[in-house]
Amino acid sequence: MKSYVLITGAAGGLGKAFAAECASRGWDLFLTDTTESSLSILAEGITRLSNVTVLYSPCNLADPTARERFWEAIRAQGLQFHFLINVAGLDVEGPFAERSTEELGAIIRLNIESVVSMTRMILQHRDPTRSLRIINVSSLAGFNPMPVKAVYAASKRFLLDFSLALHRELRESDVTVTALCPAGMPTNLPVIKAIERQGIMGRATTRNVGYVAVRTIDRALAGRAVYIPGAINLALRYLSAVVPRSVVTAFLSRRWSSARKQYRHEELALKGGGVFARPIG
Amino acid sequence: MMEEQRTSLRRTVVITGATSGIGLAAARALASKGYRVIGAGRLPSRCREAEGALRAEIPGAVVDYLVADLGSQREIRALAATIRERLEEDNGRLDVLVNNAGIVSTWYLATEDGYETQFAVNYLASFLLTQEMLPMLRKSGSARVITISSGSHYRTRMRWHDVMFRNGYNCLSAYKQSKLANVIFTNELNRRLEPSSGVRAYAVDPGLVDTAIGEKGTAGIARWFWRIRRRSGIPPEQAAETIVHLATSPMLEDPEASYWKECRPKRPSRYAEREDVMQRLWEMSERLSGLVRSPQGGGAS
Repeated sequence: MKSYVLITGAAGGLGKAFAAECASRGWDLFLTDTTESSLSILAEGITRLSNVTVLYSPCNLADPTARERFWEAIRAQGLQFHFLINVAGLDVEGPFAERSTEELGAIIRLNIESVVSMTRMILQHRDPTRSLRIINVSSLAGFNPMPVKAVYAASKRFLLDFSLALHRELRESDVTVTALCPAGMPTNLPVIKAIERQGIMGRATTRNVGYVAVRTIDRALAGRAVYIPGAINLALRYLSAVVPRSVVTAFLSRRWSSARKQYRHEELALKGGGVFARPIG
Repeated sequence: MMEEQRTSLRRTVVITGATSGIGLAAARALASKGYRVIGAGRLPSRCREAEGALRAEIPGAVVDYLVADLGSQREIRALAATIRERLEEDNGRLDVLVNNAGIVSTWYLATEDGYETQFAVNYLASFLLTQEMLPMLRKSGSARVITISSGSHYRTRMRWHDVMFRNGYNCLSAYKQSKLANVIFTNELNRRLEPSSGVRAYAVDPGLVDTAIGEKGTAGIARWFWRIRRRSGIPPEQAAETIVHLATSPMLEDPEASYWKECRPKRPSRYAEREDVMQRLWEMSERLSGLVRSPQGGGAS
């Protein structure tokens, strides 16, 4: 019986790279994202790239009823999975006081609720004959509190802790959970502009999504709990572990506010995609 | 009657990436020579600007611009359909196709089809658009497919195990490979076209040209590098001369030669003439552009 790799947020920059990488490894795919047309175009392209089966189903994963329908359809088709890659996530950048409760709630619903729910559901639909691999896209932001990205960074912290705990807890059931913690990721043009605005640090901490996808899957297959792409990012993570959190927070606050000053003068390109703009990392 | 005669005699050219640089210079030169020009560009504003400028500069010029993102196969097919419609008044005949559009990107970016952007825009788009235009080019009697390559295609090879550079993306390597693919494609197209088709393909090395190609998708040091580099480049008008020569000369000094620089034939890399390489790229391109179905297909759930 066929068994699939389920990728959420598949039509975004990182999702597309994961899809292409999994297909090149000969794995059959099940893709989801919010827009049906993007999924059908991508599925067609991936099928041409590599001779695998690519199924898809659009779903607004932030909506519990939509998730229920999504899994009902999967149950009806009797599909099973050996891999789950939770890429879907969102960030609404900007000062906390300027964000509406709806915007803030949307971050929590997609970044936290949907990942917990998808992870729980995949256990019920796993391929019993194979190991189950789960990748959660956390962020380097998950290691530190981040002013101006408070809710986003906290949601990524949740994913990091959640993944580490589950990685341990589910070990006996042949399940591994890997938290991917990248810094900036150049997933599309607005995000690339935002990275360039951060200057040399932005460029130095940034890794191509293709590179990240290839290595993350290698790490997941090796059963690693956390993957931080890039040596500088790894160093930053350990540096932030020995410096008091209040000091790191103050430093990040300075860095983000200077990046934002520049940002205000330019077009708010990042918000071009509305609430569903992709996260920086 | 007069109108009919005029349209049946004029020659038509389709130029991609025609809103700036070499593409715009070629559009201007060919429009001045009485060609009907159909230009394609990614941004509507730049298309309007280029169209307006050419119409104002050249009295009586027949110039139309169409908007298409060549990183999307859907948009390439839509562009081809619109061109087909527009060509109906010329009995569905196309004389010259100039595959000029090209980009440089510092970062690995995937198109909506899931393909690496430089490979998709610089190479695969040329392949697909040429396939779509072939029936119309065959009606010309003496048609030319001109694809812009680069001297950077020498000393490089196809990265068959990962043509999309997913693992270890390097801007310049990806660029060079896409330009090599253009030469290989041109050679294979000529090998496949029967002499009676009246269609001949040429790859052009424009030399180092003073255009903004390296500054649109880059920043920082890479952008600085391209900016310094372009200063020693020739003006786009001079680079377009080879295109104009190949498009308009009724008899070329060596019609069989597939690679041209400064209006003269030149030997492309030996690698680009290897039959196994030509065959392999062609078959891969047919698959990637959906012209040939894989034995086992996917589908929606």
